[in-house]
Amino acid sequence: MNDARSITRRRFMTVTGSAVAMLGGGHAFAQGQPRIRIDPTEFQPVPIAITNFLPGSPADADVGNGVTQVITNNLKRSGLFAPIDQAAFIERINNIDVAPQFQNWKTINAQAVVTGRMTRQPDGRLKAEFRLWDVVSGQQLAGQQYFTSPEYWRRIAHIISDQIYERMTGEKGYFDSRVVFVDESGPKERRVKRLAMMDQDGANVRYLTRGSDLVLTPRFSPNSQEITYMEFGQGDPKVYLFNIETGQRETVGNFPGMTFAPRFSPDGQRVIMSLQQGGNSNLFVMDLRSRSTTRLTDTPAIDTSPSYSPDGTRICFESDRGGRSQIYVMAAGGGAAQRISFSKDDTNATYSTPVWSPRGDYIAFTRQGGGQFSIGVMKPDGSGERLLTSGYHNEGPTFSPNGRVLMFFRDPGGSGGPSLFSVDISGRNELKVPTPGFASDPAWSPLLSSTSGG
Amino acid sequence: MKVKVDKTLVASIALHVLVLGWGLVTFSSRAFVVPEESLPIDIISTDQLAQMTNGQKTGDKKEPKPKVEKIAEAKPDEDAVGKVTEKKELIKTNSTPEPPPKPVEKPVEKKPEPPKPVAEAKPKEEPKPQEKKPDPAKEDPIAELQKKLETKKPPPKPPEPKVAAVQPQQQPKPKERSFDPAQIQRDLDKRAATRHELAGAALNASASLGSTTGTAANNVATWRGAFQGAVKRCFTPTYNGQDADQYEADIDISMKIDGSLASEPVIVGVRGPSRSIAQAIAESAKRAIVQCQVYSFMPKPQYESWKLIPMTFGLKDML
Repeated sequence: MNDARSITRRRFMTVTGSAVAMLGGGHAFAQGQPRIRIDPTEFQPVPIAITNFLPGSPADADVGNGVTQVITNNLKRSGLFAPIDQAAFIERINNIDVAPQFQNWKTINAQAVVTGRMTRQPDGRLKAEFRLWDVVSGQQLAGQQYFTSPEYWRRIAHIISDQIYERMTGEKGYFDSRVVFVDESGPKERRVKRLAMMDQDGANVRYLTRGSDLVLTPRFSPNSQEITYMEFGQGDPKVYLFNIETGQRETVGNFPGMTFAPRFSPDGQRVIMSLQQGGNSNLFVMDLRSRSTTRLTDTPAIDTSPSYSPDGTRICFESDRGGRSQIYVMAAGGGAAQRISFSKDDTNATYSTPVWSPRGDYIAFTRQGGGQFSIGVMKPDGSGERLLTSGYHNEGPTFSPNGRVLMFFRDPGGSGGPSLFSVDISGRNELKVPTPGFASDPAWSPLLSSTSGG
Repeated sequence: MKVKVDKTLVASIALHVLVLGWGLVTFSSRAFVVPEESLPIDIISTDQLAQMTNGQKTGDKKEPKPKVEKIAEAKPDEDAVGKVTEKKELIKTNSTPEPPPKPVEKPVEKKPEPPKPVAEAKPKEEPKPQEKKPDPAKEDPIAELQKKLETKKPPPKPPEPKVAAVQPQQQPKPKERSFDPAQIQRDLDKRAATRHELAGAALNASASLGSTTGTAANNVATWRGAFQGAVKRCFTPTYNGQDADQYEADIDISMKIDGSLASEPVIVGVRGPSRSIAQAIAESAKRAIVQCQVYSFMPKPQYESWKLIPMTFGLKDML
């Protein structure tokens, strides 16, 4: 009874207190001219009109249409833009050097209009020009021109897409980037796994290995044309470095046991990985220039899947030192690790494959629990956990260069094989990424314009 | 035997018919139930409702209803007189022709009334036509003449004349009582009817505390809500990533009285972890405001309250 009374009294006090607070707040509110506040609850993509890029000469018509298609596809797949069907256009752009008739674009509810032109230069290069117009204010938001070899027209389209994305959202784009993945072909029992690379939109697929040896967990170098991955060759599986341009490859370090789960440091100077010794595995880091290796963990447990924070000061990794696989964070030089993954609803859930966002604000992971594999994100302190997609066998998230999109692979089981998917970190806009065959283990590159190789 | 069988048959048939008939009636009545139609409703917040139903603190504190009750119980005649004056003051104070006709008619009435005591219903019918405006209007020339004659009286007239007008009516009444007490009761009843009419008019004419229409006329919540909804429809922010709740953009909007923008919306300030993202949100908000005009629903009488509309765009409810 006493308890009940005290609870009701407490409740009464709470209610009265909040009521008084509300009254006070309302009073203060009434004194000044209050601002009308708008907080949209639903996210809606921005309607944008992308007109056909005009050909400088009749021979450039194809490349002009191609660029338009790539930009439209990029912006649409981002989920932030809703490109308007060209059939709805009222005005036909004939000269990109003159401002469009904005009323024509307001009528079809476009907020922005993209115009452009592709012209073959006398020296054989391709000149690409584009303008981004704000329909409402009638101002030009962006205008650029680029020169490139004609075969790189897709790259130009991606760069223009990034410009539009950045000008409209305030965030860096991610379209001018590549994805390296494991291409899988053949029957399930004799599956051939080859290292492959493509543009982020699925175009320009290149195979980097022949498929004679099994490859896993390829990772891009942040600032060069190198990939690190694990390959089952003769003897123990090893971590290799692979140069995309030259095709050269070399082992990383000279360890007695199996090395796996490699990843570059943000400066590209080191590779961090797991080394298996007996039943345990621990984290090691190797400096690529001096070839010196450093042990980071020494536990009778499996420590693996390390990933650096973008500033290079911390490492997140998975470990079963607590009994089940969970995510831990420690300093880049090793030392005490702090567990950050705690499942609220399922104490048996396990967390694995952590990867730090290039923006540093989130760690993506694979969560296994309740018979489902989920891809999610949490803040580096473990708070704000959010599952983005759940189902059977989702795994291996990787961040887009701007930290806005995650790519992962999903294996539905059965006779089929895995496919790549992308999802916004808000959980919206899940899309299948086109690949020639089955694909797994994707790793997103940094923006190509930020790497030395270009 | 056969007769008995027949009786049971009849009884059972009657019972069956009753039961089946009852069943038919009940089923048929169910079949006729009209499905409820969904009605379109406007959703308003509790704040808006509270503001609409809120009484005026500066409202007139006269309490017409209690006065009516007191009149009915204790002093019917005197109170009725008081209300007659109230009603006329409230409705006709602005019309100048009224005060003159009253004094004109009153002296006229005083004279005919004494002879009319027999026809008691008539004196009461006459005052009603007197209240009507057309009749006095016709008598205006006479009133003017009498005004000239009685130049000194006009100033004191507004307060006194009506009392004076009713008092003569009261004086003949005692004489009537002596003739016919039953008809006096009818007279009283009729007076009561006029009292109710007066009280009702008085009620409607003055603002009161806690009435349902208290501050509805100058309720700002209605246009605020409508404006908010209109702009929200066009607002498509380009960001819904992490820390979306920390982004805000303050924008001031200058309005013309026709509901269009007087000038381009001004970005007063932006807040958020990334300045470029915050700026992009502010620009998309600006586009929304321009795109969604004209806000022709804005109430013109309250133009002063929305000449400049300060707004804040946030992403608190995203994700």
